[in-house]
Amino acid sequence: MAEWDKDRDNITVDGLARRLRDGRITRRGFLAGAAGLLGSMAAAEGLLARVAGAQTTRKNTLMVGQSSDVSKLDPQMSTTVNDIAITFNLFDNLLTRRRDGKLYPSLATEWKLVNPTTWQFKLRPNVKFHNGDRFTSADVKFSYERSYDPNAKVITKSVLNTIERIETPDAQTVVIVTKKPDPLLAARTAFYAGQIMPKDYFAKVKEDEFNAKPIGTGPVKLASWVKDDRMVLDANANYWGGKLAVNQIIFRPLPELAARVGALLKGEVDIITKIPPDQMDRIAKAPTTKIEGVLYGGLYCLSVTTQKPPLDSKPFRQAMSLALDRETIVKELWRGQAAVPNSLVVKGDSHHDPTLPPLKYDPNQAKQLLKEANYKGEELTLETPIGFMVMDKEMSEVVTAMWKDVGINAKLEQLEYSVYQQKIREKSFKGVRWTDPTSAYNDPDGMMWRHLAPGGPNAYWFRNPRFDELGNGARFSVDEKFRAEAYKEMARLELEFLPLIPVIQPMELYGLQKYVDWKPYANQTMEFRNFNLKITRG
Amino acid sequence: MQGFGRFLTYRVVRMLIALWSVVTVVFVVMRLSGDPVPLLLPPDAPIAEMERLRHEMGLDRPIYVQYGVFINQAVRGDFGRSIHFRTSAMTVVWERVPATLELAFASFLCAIVVAIPAGIISAVRRGSIIDDIVMGVALVGQAAPTFYIGIMLILTCSLWLGLFPTSGRGDWRNLVLPAVTLGAFAMASIARITRSAVLEILRADYIRTARAKGLPEFWTLAKHTMRNAAIPIVTIVGLQLGNLLGGAVVTETIFSWPGIGRLAIQSIYNRDYPVVQSCVFMTAAMFVVVNFLVDVAYGILDPRIRH
Repeated sequence: MAEWDKDRDNITVDGLARRLRDGRITRRGFLAGAAGLLGSMAAAEGLLARVAGAQTTRKNTLMVGQSSDVSKLDPQMSTTVNDIAITFNLFDNLLTRRRDGKLYPSLATEWKLVNPTTWQFKLRPNVKFHNGDRFTSADVKFSYERSYDPNAKVITKSVLNTIERIETPDAQTVVIVTKKPDPLLAARTAFYAGQIMPKDYFAKVKEDEFNAKPIGTGPVKLASWVKDDRMVLDANANYWGGKLAVNQIIFRPLPELAARVGALLKGEVDIITKIPPDQMDRIAKAPTTKIEGVLYGGLYCLSVTTQKPPLDSKPFRQAMSLALDRETIVKELWRGQAAVPNSLVVKGDSHHDPTLPPLKYDPNQAKQLLKEANYKGEELTLETPIGFMVMDKEMSEVVTAMWKDVGINAKLEQLEYSVYQQKIREKSFKGVRWTDPTSAYNDPDGMMWRHLAPGGPNAYWFRNPRFDELGNGARFSVDEKFRAEAYKEMARLELEFLPLIPVIQPMELYGLQKYVDWKPYANQTMEFRNFNLKITRG
Repeated sequence: MQGFGRFLTYRVVRMLIALWSVVTVVFVVMRLSGDPVPLLLPPDAPIAEMERLRHEMGLDRPIYVQYGVFINQAVRGDFGRSIHFRTSAMTVVWERVPATLELAFASFLCAIVVAIPAGIISAVRRGSIIDDIVMGVALVGQAAPTFYIGIMLILTCSLWLGLFPTSGRGDWRNLVLPAVTLGAFAMASIARITRSAVLEILRADYIRTARAKGLPEFWTLAKHTMRNAAIPIVTIVGLQLGNLLGGAVVTETIFSWPGIGRLAIQSIYNRDYPVVQSCVFMTAAMFVVVNFLVDVAYGILDPRIRH
């Protein structure tokens, strides 16, 4: 785990000014640094502690500051981070994936594979929705079928579409028959599209009303929502998993980082999300706050989007990867809060191969490969938005500099976010772009194959018969031994051809008051249930 | 009085023309920026689905028919449904109006209460240390970026001194920092314009006459100077109020203030064009109304303008 307490270089005003002058940090970075300095001065005088002490007397309410507001509450209408932080608490899934990466029973108490295409789930009895309706197998059938209904306006159609039919022999039993063997069905029920919605209430209110006033079985229920201001969730006193440690959870959008960190330090909020590594010390060293981190269940990768020269050359792409000093990126830019990946199968996922060495940095070999590729200095463009991923701008600058160091004529282009999104839709990038694929089901199928299968979001040009054969085979096999071998070989093939160049596996950092005992998850859901939330203040 | 009535009618007609122009520009720009249909559907949506949506949105009809429908809806304040929030776009914007007005008027009040007296004092004591200080502060207010002022105020007044909350909307204490941040620029401009307007009038012959006949300095200022210096001051005050009402993206973002500016920017990112249209229309409408009020104020302050 991270070394929060490790002493780091102290930043001084002179140092900041020098970095600004040398162009090593932006004006914004300078201001953030200056803000940090002021913050630590305040801390030194013990003022923060006094202020924080005065402000944290609201017992029984947990305040969460997110980086932007919630957009939708219909769980099948959105998969964005700020929305799932809410919906995975309003609703329950049949199974749930906890911090250890394992599946646990939730609305289902037992599940088993009856034959390669048939799964049976036994449901928890006596569970009620927030409006008092009883939870039954009919709700499961309704929710799942809606998630892939071609006529429903949902965005989760690709999650549970391996299902052929759903049977409900009685109110507490669900039998799911898949079109082909689906090794990940249980995992799918634990993530997007798997939240169970009330059939009768939905039929009564229809989708827009449901989105505005959602009803689930989860530990919290919606009390009020003033858009862009606050969303108030009341604890569900009758929750089957036991009542929460607080009476209320309030989510507030705090888009500006300095204000978000300020609100935590002053004790106005109890948890904040999306902390870049350069702000970590401010929170970790303050007397009343702490940092919790988790390794993201995905990667920051560079996606090779075209076969235009020089990107059509395999040795050239390998040179691009070898030119990246990932250790330095992790150490300097991320202050140690990231890991160097060894393939496209991330640490924490099933079938991750720990025997593979971390991706190598070898500028001499990179130069050699460029010669082999007969590289004539053609331009290589990296297109990046700003603020799409944590530190994307800084990493883009570093990556292009590292490419230039080995002799690649690299160019950086910054794009406005909606233009970037448009380019993703149109597949119209000039060379390389950032992507942050996540392994939705803690399995290589959810990342390596989902992204690189024919039609996948990063399958711009890459096709390899062996890779496709293995990917398809592993997707439809319930033999985990076979799957492990298949993914091992696929990971090797991917590293040879490099349609995606893995760069880092980042830590996701959250700031907390010391009295809040809560742990984040790798899949970015914020689980608030009594086994994951304790308040230790008097 | 008949002259004033005609003056008012003329201004109202001009206001309506301005609003119609805004609506038309919005219509044209939204059409120029490309087909919205592919943005509303997943990338792999079939052609038939795109055609269906295009028909549903009326985009397959001739452009003049679309314009007619659009104007008809705009008159009723209906700009369609928000793609992002799945509810009426105008409702989404209306929800932000109270917060926007609250912040705009608080900043405005901050600005005029400080800026006009400061400008007058600075003019009357021209060249003194007070003048230097006031104009120096005004220069900083005009030059410093909003995000810098905002973050520094959070650090000093909120984190350090613990006087105000760091962000969010709530009681009056939540309003102070964003209002000062947003009002800083307006404050500076108004103070500078007030100073130069007052200075110009102070040099006029009738002021010398007033002083020569022994009128106390206070009355010289209050009656003779201020009334004549009012036109440029009212102009800048009106413009600044219009700007403040237009929403303040940076201030609203720093202080997590749920106003129109932040909504507009987020909607642009989300390609939620019905909300963008509603925001533009609402902002333009507020600006036009303020301009109208400024025009009326001119008419009252200087009867010559009525003709």
